[in-house]
Amino acid sequence: MANKRSGRTRLLLVSLLVTSLFLVTLDLRGVSLVTSLRNVTQSVLAPFQSLGSSILNPISDFFGGFSNLRNSSSRIEELEKENEELRAKAILNENIAAELKQLKGVLDLAGKGRYKTVSARVISKGGTATISESIVIDQGSQAGITRDMTVISESGLVGVVKSTTATTSVVMLMSDPAFRIGVRVAGTQFMGILSGEGEGRYFVQMLSAAGEIKFEDSLLARGSSGDKPFVPGVPVGRVISVENRVGQLTARARVEPYVKFDSLGVVSVVLKSAGGDPGDALVPQAPRPAPTVTVFVTPSE
Amino acid sequence: MRLSRLPLVVGVLLLIFILQESFVNRIDFYLGGFSLYLVFVVAWVINEEPENAMLIGFFAGLIADLSPTLEAPFGLWTFVLTGFCYLLVSTIRGNLEPQISPIQMSLVTSLSATFLLILFVIFGAILGQDVASAIVLIKELTGNLLWSMVLAPIYIPLTQRIHKISLTARER
Repeated sequence: MANKRSGRTRLLLVSLLVTSLFLVTLDLRGVSLVTSLRNVTQSVLAPFQSLGSSILNPISDFFGGFSNLRNSSSRIEELEKENEELRAKAILNENIAAELKQLKGVLDLAGKGRYKTVSARVISKGGTATISESIVIDQGSQAGITRDMTVISESGLVGVVKSTTATTSVVMLMSDPAFRIGVRVAGTQFMGILSGEGEGRYFVQMLSAAGEIKFEDSLLARGSSGDKPFVPGVPVGRVISVENRVGQLTARARVEPYVKFDSLGVVSVVLKSAGGDPGDALVPQAPRPAPTVTVFVTPSE
Repeated sequence: MRLSRLPLVVGVLLLIFILQESFVNRIDFYLGGFSLYLVFVVAWVINEEPENAMLIGFFAGLIADLSPTLEAPFGLWTFVLTGFCYLLVSTIRGNLEPQISPIQMSLVTSLSATFLLILFVIFGAILGQDVASAIVLIKELTGNLLWSMVLAPIYIPLTQRIHKISLTARER
């Protein structure tokens, strides 16, 4: 009796494992049913994610704050002072103000690049136990968004649209290990491939041995055919160190992205690049040092 | 498992999945993420018979595969969860005392969830998925383990209570 039961259990296990492998095969062969299942799920999840976003936005950084515990105490006094100022100014909704600032920034960038864009709020990020880096935004195919469109924020490139539903889109972030982009060093025509290595580390590998790259160089998106997945001219990041390895054929450098991925609230999806390649027009300006005035005191006689 | 229990179990799993996707994912946990869904599945199946465990693992995997932000092929979570839930219940559970202490339960649940993530990454890599760097993986896995243990006093009693409700009077 026990043997019969154990035989049935094994048969069931094998059947379930074979079914799951069959599903994997279907997906890898590009059967659209599987993709539509995920799109339907996204449509169902969208209202819950919007609700989650509005509830958790003000407290989402609570746990993340533990990492900055050491710096926190030194900032408490500063923040208390700032808090008093904020009360005095009676700012009722900090979230809306921050989102407006991001929206203004991203529209400025899109305007300079002459990109036709659709702005969207970030409503969710990550996935169930995934290590991939992605966000969900509250605009989809109804707003004209399709797969492989460039996503930007006020500071530069955020990522690329991976899939869409009628009202939402999933965006693969630049920080995803699978993300690759062709970049150009601003002010030159030297090109390279930028890839993420996780943990906020990015590297650019120049394509030609003649390609020069140096500290503080800005990197811009090279652009793709038909502007998909990347429109040209979007700021990607700046070089923070150049590696010099013996036997290396082309230069390689570490890059810091312009976008801070942990504070994304509003982004824009580029529908069309109306003005062609904007060249170096979108390179962020370095802050100018304040002029120093030296006063010489001459004792009066 | 009585077939009539299955819709209820799937319903509960769907509810936890929505909670994970809409709320838990929005929280920036220190070090890495916390997968309420995985720990819930593990804490649930540990109270089941091997046959039930693999069925629940299969449906839990199907639901996890529906995640729109998932890069891995559809069916990978189904494969990993089906196999793991069966192995967990038929081997580890068999070696533990019938009444698991809360500490044992926390340890088994947290370590199992972390091990599930490792298996997922390994099978994903075999299927040609891009794998994050070692530092990122270690950080994510450590974070997951840490938060699974810290939050165990909340989710384990909750899971056990819901599990008890799902049982028929005879099964109880």
